[in-house]
Amino acid sequence: MAKTPDDRRLELLQGTLDLLILRTLQWGPQHGHGIGQAIRGNSEDLLKVETGSLYPALHRLEKAGWLKSEWGTSEANQRAKFYRLTATGKAQLSREQDRWSQLVYAIGRVLNPRATGEE
Amino acid sequence: MRPNQHDLDEEIRGHLAISVQERIARGEDAESARLAALKEFGNVLLTRDSMRRVWHARWLDAAAALGRDMRVGLRSLSRAKGLAITVVVTLALGIGANAAIFSVVRGVLLRPLVNRGEDRLVYIRQSAPGVGAANSTFSVPEIVDLRAAVSSIDAFGEFSTIDFTLIGFGEPRAVKAGVVDGSYFEVMGLRPVLGRLLAPSDDGPNAAGAVVLTYRFWTTALDSDPTVVGRAIGLGARTATVVGVLEPSVPYPADTEIIANIVTSPHHLGATMVTMRTHRMTELFGRLRPGASIEEARAELRAAHAAMMSSHPDAYPEKAETQLSVTPLRDQITAPARPVLLLLLVAAALVFVIACSNVANLILARSVRREGELAVRAALGATHGELRRTLLAESLVLCGFGALLGVILARPMVSVVAQFAARFSVRALEVTVDGTLLWVGAGLAMAAAVLLAFVPRLPSAHAPTGLALASGSVRMTPGTSRRLRVFATAQIAFSFVLLAGAATLLATLIAVQTAPTGYDMRRVLAVDLPMPTLGLGSPDEMNFYQQVTERIGSLPGVDGVALGNVVPWRDSEGSFGGTVSFAVEGQTPTDGEAPPRARLRVVTPGFFDVLGVPIVAGRDFTEDDRRRSEPVVIVSRRLAQQLFPDGDALNRTMWWTDPYFGKPVPRRIVGVAADVDDVNLVRDVAMTVYHPLQQMWVTGRLFVRASGDPYALVPPITRIIRDLSATQAVERAATLEDVRLEVLAPERLNAFVLAGFAGVALLIAVVGVAGVLAFGVSARTREFGVRLAVGSTPRELLLGILSEGTRIVAVGIAAGAVAAYAFAAVAGAFVASVQLPGVLPVIAAALILAGAAVAASLMPAARASRVDVLQALRSE
Repeated sequence: MAKTPDDRRLELLQGTLDLLILRTLQWGPQHGHGIGQAIRGNSEDLLKVETGSLYPALHRLEKAGWLKSEWGTSEANQRAKFYRLTATGKAQLSREQDRWSQLVYAIGRVLNPRATGEE
Repeated sequence: MRPNQHDLDEEIRGHLAISVQERIARGEDAESARLAALKEFGNVLLTRDSMRRVWHARWLDAAAALGRDMRVGLRSLSRAKGLAITVVVTLALGIGANAAIFSVVRGVLLRPLVNRGEDRLVYIRQSAPGVGAANSTFSVPEIVDLRAAVSSIDAFGEFSTIDFTLIGFGEPRAVKAGVVDGSYFEVMGLRPVLGRLLAPSDDGPNAAGAVVLTYRFWTTALDSDPTVVGRAIGLGARTATVVGVLEPSVPYPADTEIIANIVTSPHHLGATMVTMRTHRMTELFGRLRPGASIEEARAELRAAHAAMMSSHPDAYPEKAETQLSVTPLRDQITAPARPVLLLLLVAAALVFVIACSNVANLILARSVRREGELAVRAALGATHGELRRTLLAESLVLCGFGALLGVILARPMVSVVAQFAARFSVRALEVTVDGTLLWVGAGLAMAAAVLLAFVPRLPSAHAPTGLALASGSVRMTPGTSRRLRVFATAQIAFSFVLLAGAATLLATLIAVQTAPTGYDMRRVLAVDLPMPTLGLGSPDEMNFYQQVTERIGSLPGVDGVALGNVVPWRDSEGSFGGTVSFAVEGQTPTDGEAPPRARLRVVTPGFFDVLGVPIVAGRDFTEDDRRRSEPVVIVSRRLAQQLFPDGDALNRTMWWTDPYFGKPVPRRIVGVAADVDDVNLVRDVAMTVYHPLQQMWVTGRLFVRASGDPYALVPPITRIIRDLSATQAVERAATLEDVRLEVLAPERLNAFVLAGFAGVALLIAVVGVAGVLAFGVSARTREFGVRLAVGSTPRELLLGILSEGTRIVAVGIAAGAVAAYAFAAVAGAFVASVQLPGVLPVIAAALILAGAAVAASLMPAARASRVDVLQALRSE
């Protein structure tokens, strides 16, 4: 089965994708399609999340207890599953944000050794 | 909450719908919006699978698939009922036998004793191999010497056995009692469940009689009566108080019903017991001092024993080779059972191997039939793992049922095997069916299932023959056929080992059972009338026996009455099993030569007539051979021939030289009786000396010769004795024939257990051979069709299959014979009682096996000869 390339990409994206999902849900409950659109819109179309990665990630986060899901209806009156951030999810978000900043800082230092402080 | 398949589908459908709505809102037409949304989404199934995988681990899926496969297996097996039932029963027998044996092995050999600190408990034994005494026990002076000389043992406990007539619990009855000193229970580390046990304050001639009941006696004879403590009971002429009930524990060295303090036994207080060094009847136990090793204790005790022997040379004749052994109590208790149980374990393992190879055969044959199905599945993309899983599911179903049935079968088997093992170790009496049984059963079933799943070869998806087989026809490859034959041959070989063993055992048993004994077996009734005291010969007592004889003799249907002191075979274990040294007139043993020894028996006039033993010379005892008249004896023919080779033993004299008898009394030989053996079941010729009761005063066994049914005499006999004495026990009435059967019961159980194993093995092997041949026939239907078409007769086909079966059997038996002799030789090296089987039983076993197997191959052979030519040729 042709799983392997997908899996690898998922692996690479995993940490970031989780962060993006959690951040997106900070503005309120949203369904999968909406989350995908929001990430795309907020990144000015630079980031396009594959549904094949998005949905498994949503379920993984729900299983971890960071999200909670319930059925609802979209603005256009379409039945959809809405995800919402839980309290532990919020804590996780701030942890991930910190880690991301550190990562960016560290990588920045490595790529540009003479620059000081933030860009 | 864990989403189900439907939730996942709904979620994806919602996504697509929203996506389509948005596109339409942007102005796309419905059809292209739908396509674009689908395109953007990508692989729907794959995404759904990934979502599912978040919640369901891979092994859970595999387990679910295995469950599905098992359901499929169950259905497909229900179509092959014959095969399924054969496999389940075969496995059940194999698993049941192993689980049962293992329970007993665990209970007897591995479990610790209940005694506190059992690792410091030792058993001390004196033996005299030179005179055939494996356990000569100790006398009181010997114990005093040993106690004084040893420091590595904290405390000693003394135990001896005596028969009491117990009065106070219903009818008077003879009980086997242990007589112990006050430190015995402390040394053994035993506790009471009720009341107290015996303590040092119960020692000495002035203590009150005190009795402890064993747990078994309390629960079985007294219904666990909680008020029993404090009850006064009579022990023969003395009285005692029940002070407590002992916790359940291994009764060793003797399985007694009560345990009393020394004061209850007049004999234990007598001068003979206390002062005579050769009056040995006490077993000795010790508790190691903390920190002392058993080697230390052994060395110390042996040194003390050697010193004792050199200072009393008269009590330890050189020829006796008296020696001392010290063993941990647990080893002592389990030692005799170990080789027997291990042999049984081997037998059970053989049955399991036979069962597994038979089942493997059946499964192999079945999987060959399924090769077509498997090939199709392989071609459609099933992996090897998935195919194995299918096979495993099926074998799990089979083995699961097999194990279930096996565990059910194991329960009754445990009790049979435990009874069997009880002969070698009293611990077997407390073996119960427990949880281990289930674990062993389940473990064996799993092992079998996994093995069976890996027996068949999987079809390769690439091999072109794979699909050709999918047409549903069966063709046997040479490899498969060879494997089938190897399994069948192995079964025959292993079954032969078991069958030959069982046949040998049965042959021995039959020989013992049918051997002439020299007694009139059917018409003589033996009854125990235990004497209240031992050998005092009070006029009252003699009068009692005199009256018993007279009044029973006048009953209708009684041809004769006599008294003796030994019921043949039944009493051979007791104090009269041994022999006593004596001398005869005209023979002075040369220095260093051992004095002759004979059995001592006490009888009343008429004894020989009643038991049907002819007097070959001289006369029987008469009423005139009494207390104050001339001492006389009758000797056995063997004694007469051996000590008076010139031919005339009559009117010569003999006297006992054992110090127990004090000053030698010469006794005149007045008769010679035919040889009988009342000790060994396999008749041996031994020297025996008979005394008249009036001159030796030891009796307690009544013999009645009946003209009709002997058992019809039991009620009137009991009534007469009750009339004469309300406290006299009357017990164990049985004809000599039944006594012998009863004594032989362990041997019969022995043969029964092994014959059971052999029967199971035979059954399995026969099923195996028939199965292999039947499969061969059905796989070769086309070949037979062709052969019939070109002119073979059905008879030729039938003979061909039969000869194939015979070949398997012949090779199997040859291999089995080699294995059996090798096994017997190896076992013989470790266990003295294993002998190489005789030729006759082995041949009988071979014939039985060959006959059964050939008969089993008749059915498939007949089928081969009935093949319908047209149908066979059209079948492919």
